[in-house]
Amino acid sequence: MNTIVDILKILIFPGGMFILLAGMMYEWADRKLLAMLQNRIGPRWFQQLADVLKLLAKEEVLPSGVNARLFIGLPIVALAAALTAALYVPIMGIAPAFSFSGDLIVSIYLLSLMTLCLGLAGSNTLDRFSLLGATRTLTQLFSYEAPFMLALLGPAFLAGSWQINEITAYTDGRWLLLTQPLGFIVALIGLMGKLELPPFDAPEAKTEIVAGALTEYSGRGLAIFKLGKGVELVAGLTLVAAFYLGGVGNPLLFLLKTLGLLVIIAGIQALLTRLRIDQTVGLWWRYGTLLVLVQWMGTILWLRFVA
Amino acid sequence: MMNTELILQTAEQIVSSWDWLTKTNRPEPHRLDVRLTKLSDLVPMIVGLRVKRLGYLGTITGLDHGPENGELEVLYHFFAGQAVITLRVSLPYENPVLPSLCDIIPAAEPYERELSEMFGITLNGLRNPEHLYLPEDWPAGVYPLRQDFDPAVLEIHNKKELPA
Amino acid sequence: MTTATPLKERFTVPIGPQHPALKEPGHFDFEVEGEVVKSASVRLGYAHRGIEKAVESRNWVQNLYLLERICGICSHIHATAYCLGVEALAGVEVPPRAQAIRTLVAELERIHSHLLWLGVSAHEAGFESLFMYSWRDRETIMDLLEGLTGNRVNYSVNVLGGIKYDLDAEQSEAILQGLQFLEARTHHYLEVVTTDALFLQRTRGIATLTRQQAELMGVLGPTARASNVKRDVRVESPYAGYQQFPLQMVVAEGGDLAARFVVRLNELFESYRLIREILANLPEGELTTRMPRRIIAGETISRVEAPRGELIYFIKSNGSDMPARVKVRTPTIMNMTSVVKLAVGHQLADIPMIVSGIDPCFSCNDRMAVINNQAWDWEQLRQYGIEYYQRQNAE
Repeated sequence: MNTIVDILKILIFPGGMFILLAGMMYEWADRKLLAMLQNRIGPRWFQQLADVLKLLAKEEVLPSGVNARLFIGLPIVALAAALTAALYVPIMGIAPAFSFSGDLIVSIYLLSLMTLCLGLAGSNTLDRFSLLGATRTLTQLFSYEAPFMLALLGPAFLAGSWQINEITAYTDGRWLLLTQPLGFIVALIGLMGKLELPPFDAPEAKTEIVAGALTEYSGRGLAIFKLGKGVELVAGLTLVAAFYLGGVGNPLLFLLKTLGLLVIIAGIQALLTRLRIDQTVGLWWRYGTLLVLVQWMGTILWLRFVA
Repeated sequence: MMNTELILQTAEQIVSSWDWLTKTNRPEPHRLDVRLTKLSDLVPMIVGLRVKRLGYLGTITGLDHGPENGELEVLYHFFAGQAVITLRVSLPYENPVLPSLCDIIPAAEPYERELSEMFGITLNGLRNPEHLYLPEDWPAGVYPLRQDFDPAVLEIHNKKELPA
Repeated sequence: MTTATPLKERFTVPIGPQHPALKEPGHFDFEVEGEVVKSASVRLGYAHRGIEKAVESRNWVQNLYLLERICGICSHIHATAYCLGVEALAGVEVPPRAQAIRTLVAELERIHSHLLWLGVSAHEAGFESLFMYSWRDRETIMDLLEGLTGNRVNYSVNVLGGIKYDLDAEQSEAILQGLQFLEARTHHYLEVVTTDALFLQRTRGIATLTRQQAELMGVLGPTARASNVKRDVRVESPYAGYQQFPLQMVVAEGGDLAARFVVRLNELFESYRLIREILANLPEGELTTRMPRRIIAGETISRVEAPRGELIYFIKSNGSDMPARVKVRTPTIMNMTSVVKLAVGHQLADIPMIVSGIDPCFSCNDRMAVINNQAWDWEQLRQYGIEYYQRQNAE
């Protein structure tokens, strides 16, 4: 009986289908917000779903010179990793499906796996745009990953636990945004780097390298990668909101919090010019890491002397 | 800035002191046409204009006076303010050769490449003699801006690729 | 320890003829080492239509419409250059009102072209918001041009010996209103491109062309003026209405991409001023004069300032009703050669901006191959495609 419940949890709710749909809706909201900020109309609400369905129905072209197994397997691994990560995250304020001590580390790792798969997928092909995109994806991974992880570990540090459940229990009602503003900024912008949203979209800058690592992907592979991105967006937003914006609370309120974050993200996307990859790396190592370390130092001093 | 009249007079002095046989005329008040008698005068004259800073190379025009006259003409237009100085060189229809200006005026390269592919003029010293505009598979020896160009040549050329 | 990089670490990134960075067909090969461009080359000719040859088999009037279609953006200026040349050959004096309206439309076209360029360049930089907004504002000018001539592009204002459309009070009021809106927007854009720190990171010190280099490479138009080369036909050799309505030359010192933004945006202000002046002092009178059908034999050179730089028409008549030769020199060809030189040493990410920085116009560039217009029906085309790919696969 338990097994069946678990499987349902993984496949339907709160994992699987639910997360996929949530991912699409969040992506749509992001696109719509960005469109409104840019004086455009933007896509209709079912656009993401329609895109995915269309792509799934299309032929998947296998370019010559690739390792076919990797080419087909990588998107699946990426989506699986993102979905698994999402199982441990309180999506939409609903208690996570599974939880164990240290699941925060696992989720962060699984979310990075997606980027890693993207990089591998790009390097797998012979296409020059893909190769450049893959190089940039991995370069970017190594630049934002450390500050982003440190920023998410800040709240964990305070809660004294590396279990997402326990951290959200600790942050419930405590707006760490106010006490750890630097950590919040780094976490939110790190999320944008992770999702390769503008201004961190150098890895898929279409005016330079077409679609970056995904240039050679079509049909199913592309659809699955896109779904994975959506899941990553939801999981990332949820983590940041749950950690920094006063915990989970009631689902409706939590939804509003994540949407609020989405508004900020869309605003940043609309405001800024794409950074070159060297500028991205410089930004993260010069400012991102420094900011988050300052935050940690403050927290440590506070714990040591005040609390 | 020098006025137009002064520019044109200076240019006239330069070209006629280089070769007093050179014929010049003024088709319009702001234009000076210089008809070169010897091809070897071209480069020194242009260097002379450059030294005096008389304008920049606007473009190089090729003219085909038709196979019956058997003459190609190449026009080098220099602009300075309102003034237009044109150096005209006559070339034979068969095997026309010109010295390239790329060493003096790097900007001349695209014009010269155009000249060579459109009129079949060989330019000595052209750094990159490949096609600039025409396709790679353009038939050799066919020059589209010559008077005797016949589009039928292309039809035969393209027929080879046409499916049966 | 520095050793020469083995060749295999370099590879060529082809951009074009179909690439998201270039909406027009041109082909660039950039040899990159990591992200840094080590060498570059350009291949043109993907938009050849054989216009220079076609001109020789059409009469003077037909050619006006053909030449106007060399370029979609700067169509009016092509027609103007041609008309001015033919009128000079025929010795016809065009009424001042016609010349003024020609100039007015030319300046409107310049505004449209520069705003379009602003959007494209912002898009290349990944600054989508600026792209969206500047193209929204460009619609104002498109609507004005449509109201004036009935067309959004290829306005067909010119006829030999004058112009086709007159301007009434209502239209000039609409233009003034449009300009007021655009002027406010342009101030805003100028502020954005000169103060936005992230945008400046992408433009300042990128693709810098010193004055000497600019003169040597023969770059033209706003690209040259951004390097402080004072070269503007409207000022140097005023044509059409620019004699009556003189213009201030806009230059900048920097020579980099940022300076090109500043020059083009400042030119917009100059265009706004000039249009207002023309509207306020529009000469009365006829719109056209009689043109002979045959143009007396002779040669002329007509120079005008297109939005992208100096445009040259060499026109030769042999006394018949068709021109003997029309040679068109568009500004893009000169600017294009500078791109190849400028690209070397820059990051690949800067390349789209460097290319768009000169405001390239490939259809102007590639005006003149002869395309064989042999017609294939659908079946033949399909069969050709199948066989082509079979051949490819067999190899």
